[in-house]
Amino acid sequence: MTNATLNRRHVLAGLASATTLPGIVYAQTGTPRRGGTLKISHSTRLAQLNVLQLSGPSEYLAVDMIYSGLVRLSPTMVPTPELATEWTPNKDATSFVFKLRPGVTFHDGTAFTSADVVATFKAILDVATKSPARAVLDMVSDIVAVDQLTVRFDLKVPYADLPVSVAHANARIVSEAALKRPLTELDTKANGTGPFKIESFDSSRLLKLVRHTGYYRPGQPHLDAVEMYLFPDLAAEAANYLSGAMDVMLEVQQADFKRIASAPNSNALRIPSGRFVNVVMRMDQKPFDDVRVRTAMAHAIDRPTLVDLVLEGLGRPAKDNNISPGYRFLADTPDVSYDPARAKRLLAEAGYPQGIKIPLICSNRPAIRSQVGIAIKSMAMPAGFDIDVQTIPHDTYLANVWRKGNFYIGYWGMQATEDAAFTLLFTTNAAFADTAWNNKEFDALVEKARSSPDEAERRRLYAEAQLLMVRDRPSIIPFFQDVLTASRSVVKGWSAHPLSRTFYVENVWLERA
Amino acid sequence: MNAAYLARRFASVLVVLVIVSITVFAITLILPGNAAVMILGEYATPEQLRVLELELGLDRPWHVQYLSWMGNLLGGDWGTSMRLSLPVAGLITEALWRSAALAAAALVIVTVIAIPLGIIAALKRGTWADLSISLFAYLGTAVPEFVTATLLLVFFAAPDRGWFPAGGFVPAAESIWLFLYHMCLPAATLSLILTAHIARQVRSEMSDVLGSDYVRAARLKGLPERTVVMRHGLRNAMAPAVAVISLDVGYLLGGIIVVEEVFAWPGLGRLIIYALQNRDLPVIQAATLVLATIYALSNLVSDLVIAALDPRVRYA
Amino acid sequence: MREILRHPTGLVGSFLLALVLLAALFGSWLAPYDPQLFHPQARLQGPSAAFWLGTDQFGRDILSRILHGARSTVSFGVGATLLGVAAGAVIGITAGVVGKWVDSLIMRLVDGLLAVPDLLFTLLIVTVIGGGSGHAMLAVAVAFTPGMARISRSAVLSVRTREFVQAATARGESRLYIMAAEVLPNSVGPLIVEATIRVSFAIMLGATLGFLGLGAQPPSTEWGLMISEARQFMFRNPWCVAAPGVAIAMAAMGFNLFGDALRDLIDPRGQR
Repeated sequence: MTNATLNRRHVLAGLASATTLPGIVYAQTGTPRRGGTLKISHSTRLAQLNVLQLSGPSEYLAVDMIYSGLVRLSPTMVPTPELATEWTPNKDATSFVFKLRPGVTFHDGTAFTSADVVATFKAILDVATKSPARAVLDMVSDIVAVDQLTVRFDLKVPYADLPVSVAHANARIVSEAALKRPLTELDTKANGTGPFKIESFDSSRLLKLVRHTGYYRPGQPHLDAVEMYLFPDLAAEAANYLSGAMDVMLEVQQADFKRIASAPNSNALRIPSGRFVNVVMRMDQKPFDDVRVRTAMAHAIDRPTLVDLVLEGLGRPAKDNNISPGYRFLADTPDVSYDPARAKRLLAEAGYPQGIKIPLICSNRPAIRSQVGIAIKSMAMPAGFDIDVQTIPHDTYLANVWRKGNFYIGYWGMQATEDAAFTLLFTTNAAFADTAWNNKEFDALVEKARSSPDEAERRRLYAEAQLLMVRDRPSIIPFFQDVLTASRSVVKGWSAHPLSRTFYVENVWLERA
Repeated sequence: MNAAYLARRFASVLVVLVIVSITVFAITLILPGNAAVMILGEYATPEQLRVLELELGLDRPWHVQYLSWMGNLLGGDWGTSMRLSLPVAGLITEALWRSAALAAAALVIVTVIAIPLGIIAALKRGTWADLSISLFAYLGTAVPEFVTATLLLVFFAAPDRGWFPAGGFVPAAESIWLFLYHMCLPAATLSLILTAHIARQVRSEMSDVLGSDYVRAARLKGLPERTVVMRHGLRNAMAPAVAVISLDVGYLLGGIIVVEEVFAWPGLGRLIIYALQNRDLPVIQAATLVLATIYALSNLVSDLVIAALDPRVRYA
Repeated sequence: MREILRHPTGLVGSFLLALVLLAALFGSWLAPYDPQLFHPQARLQGPSAAFWLGTDQFGRDILSRILHGARSTVSFGVGATLLGVAAGAVIGITAGVVGKWVDSLIMRLVDGLLAVPDLLFTLLIVTVIGGGSGHAMLAVAVAFTPGMARISRSAVLSVRTREFVQAATARGESRLYIMAAEVLPNSVGPLIVEATIRVSFAIMLGATLGFLGLGAQPPSTEWGLMISEARQFMFRNPWCVAAPGVAIAMAAMGFNLFGDALRDLIDPRGQR
C-alpha cells in the first residue's frame, strides 16, 4: 500500500473490500521522524483508565497506548506477538504455553515477568472484577507461571482460538504490584508496558501521555507525547479538527465524512468493519414465532438504501448473518432483496392479510438506533408492516426492554472470532441471548467448531451454522458499519482497526516534528 | 440596615437551602433502580445490581440516609464520584472556578452593554433606536441558547474563517491569553441572551421612572436633562435593575449548562449534564446544591443591595 | 381585543400567534406531504418548487414537518404552562387566603424550590422520571409551579384587602366561597399575563430538552428535536436548522409579545 491509498479521491470513490485494505497503512514515502505531540480529539468522556473494566470507545484508545497485552490482533484479525513472542498449543488445544518477551519494563522501571501475567489473568477471571474480557476467557481453568518468562494456560475444554481471546482489549497486562492494591486505584493511575505513560489526567478535558523511553520496540514510539482532548459536542469537535487545532479525530460522524475527507490537508479513513445494528425479533412470542413473518420483515427492508440514508453510504449491506467479510470463516449466504410484494404475501400466508401493527423500541444511545428504526418504518409500510417507532432512554431500555421485548433495535461491535460472535448473541446459552432461538443444532455446530483443531473442518461447521442462522433468521442484520476516522496530512501512520480496539500509535509520526 | 434585618435574611436563606437539599435528596432517592443499571451497564447480573444497591446504602430508611448525607456534606466529605472515582469536592471546585470565570465575563459584558442599551431605548422611546433595540431584545429572549450557540459557532468558528476557536479550554495557568481567547464565544453567547433580558427590563423600568411624578417634578424645577436622567431617573431605576440582574443569575445558571456543553467548556454545567446522563448520584446531589446555593446567595445579595439603594424596601 | 391590536407589540404578537396557532390547529391538513415520508432521491436539498423549505437528511419535507410539529410544540408549551398555572394557583391562592402559619410554611417551601433554576430543575425531574415529551411536559409544569404559586399569592394578597372581599367576610360567607367567587376572578389578570409569557419559556425549555436528548424523541416533529437532529447536517443544508429555529422564535415571540401587551392593558403601571 502506498500513501496514495489514503488519498481523499480514493476515499470518496468508495473503498475496496475489507480483506484487501487493512488498518495499518505506513507512508511508504519518507522515514519516520522522531518527536512532536499528537493531538487527538474524541467525543465520549474518559471516565476511567482501569483497563480491566472499561468499555468506552475513547478509553480503549487510551489504554492501547498505556498498556500492552500478550497478543494483539492485527487489522486482518490475526494474532501478532506483543508481550508474548510465541505460543504453542498441546495436541488437543487444552493447554497453551506462551513464551514472554525478555527485557520489558513497566513505566516505573520494574521488570515485566510471568508473575504479572498470572496476576492479571487471575484478576480477569475473578467475577468480582467484572471484566468484559472474562466472557472470552471463561474456558481457562488455570494460569501457571512455568518460569520467569513462560506462562501456561490450562483450559477446561479444547479451544483453538485462545490466542485471540488473550488479545482481548481488556486483557492487558497490569503489574502484580498494582493488583495487590485496591482495584479502584487503576481508574485514575496506570503503570503499564505500553509505548506511552501518563503525565496528567483531567477526565473532564485532557489526557496527556508522554513517551515511555523503555518501550520494547526499539526506536519507537516516534512521538514525544500524545494528548487526548474531549469535545462532547460533535459540531465543535469537527470544527476544531478542520481548523487544524487537532491532528486526529478519533471517530468521524457519517454526516461529516465527506466534508472532512474533502477538506484541505485532511485524510479521512474508512475501515470496513463488522459493527452492526440488528432488529431483534423474539421467536417465542407472536408475531415473530412464525418464520414467514420474520422472512417477510427481512424482505421489507431495502438494505442498500438504508446504507445510503443512515450511513451516508459508509457501510455495506448485510444478509442477516452477523459474520461479516473480514472473518476467516465467512460463508456465502443467499442475498435478501427488498421485495414488499413478497413480504405482503408471506404475511397473508402466516395469517396476517391486513398486515401487522407493532411497536419498535429504540434506545436513544447511540442515536443510530432510532434513525434505523425510522427508516425501516418507512420502507416496511408498503410491505404491510405498520411500525410505531418509540425511542426511550438507554437505561429504561436496559431495564425493561433489552432481552425482554419482542421487537427492538440492538447495536453491537465487531467480535474478534466467529465463536465470540455466535456465543455473544445466538447460542442458547449466549451471554446476551435475546431472540429465544434456542436451536440445538446450531449450538452443537458452534460447540464442535470451537474445540476442533482442524481448520477445514471448522470452516465446514461454521458455514453450516451461518446457513442455519439465515434460514431461521432470529434477527435482521441489515448492514455493517464502517469505522470512520480522520487525520491531518502531517500525521503519518494513523489508522483504525475494524474492532476499534487497537490503534498502533507507536507507529505514528509527525511530518512537522 | 440593621442587624436584625440581616439576620432574618440569612436565616431565610438557610431555610431555603435546607429545603433544596431535601428536594434534591428526595429526587435522587428515586433514581437508584435505574442508576445501578446505568452504572454497571449491560454486563451486570441481578446479583451485581443488588450488591451495588447495598453499596449505595439504599437499604437504610430514607431519613437516616438524608441525615448521614447532610452530615458528610457539612463536614466536608462530599463523597466520591461513582463513574470517575474522584472526590466530588475536587471535581466541583475545579468546575466551579471555570464556570465562574465564564459567568463573570458574561455579567461584565452584559452590565456594560445592556444597561446603556436599556436607557437609550427608554430615552428615545418610540424612535427607530428604541424599536431596533426592542426587537433585538425580544429576539434574544425567544431563541433558545443552543440555537444561538450553534449559530455563533458556525459563523465565527467556521473552519475557513477560524476567527475564534470552536470551543475547548486552556487553563489560565498555562496561558492567560489562550484562556481568554477560548472564552470569547461562550461568553458572547451567554451575554447575548442576558443582554436581551436585561435591556428589556431596564428599558421598561426607566420608562416608568421617567414618566413618574418625581422626575416630572425635577424637570419642572428646571434641572438640566442630564441631571434628571442620571441622578434622579437612574438611581430609582437601579434598584429594580439590580433585582433583574440577580434574576438573570437564574437564566445564567440555566443557559450556562447548554453553552458549556456546546463549546466544550469544562465547567459545572458540563459536569452536571455528564452526571445526569450517567446517574452519578453524589455529583448530581452536590452540584445541584452548589448551584442552588449560588442562586439563593445572589438573590440575598441583590436584596441587600436594593435595600441599600432604596430605603422604602427595607421595612417591607 | 381591539385594544391589543392597537398596541404595536400586541399587533405583532397577535399576528405571530395567529400564524402559529393556525399551524397548530390545521397544520396536518395544510402540509403538502406526510411529515414522515422519505424522498431518498431528494435528500438535504434547499428550497425548491416541490419542497418549499427544502428536505432533511431522510428526504422528508421540512415545511410539512414544521406544520405538523406546530401542534406538538404549541401543545407542549400550553400544556406545561396550564398544568403549572393550575397547580401553582391552587397552592398560591390557598396560601394567600388562609394566611398565617400555613402561608409562611408554603411560601418557605416555594422559596426553596425557586432557588433551583428552571432548566436544572427540569433536568433533574426528567432524569428521574425518564425522557419523552409527556414526562418533559410534566417536568416543566413542576418547575413552573413555585413561580406561579408566588404570583397567585401576591395577586390574592392585593385583592384580599379590597372592599368586596371584606364585605363578603362581613356577610359571613365561607372561606371557600370567598376564594372561588370573589378572590379568584379578580386575581386572574396577572396570572393570565404571566401564563402567556411563560408559554414561550415552556416552548424554549422543551426545545432545549429535545436538544439534550431528554425531551421529545425521534420520530417526533417537535421543533427543538428537529434542530438537534439536523445539527450535524448544518453545513450541507442550513435550512434544516434555520427553519425550525425561526419557527421556535416566532412562537416564543408571539406568546411573549402578546403577553406583554396584555400586561400593559391590564395594569398600565406594570406589575413585575
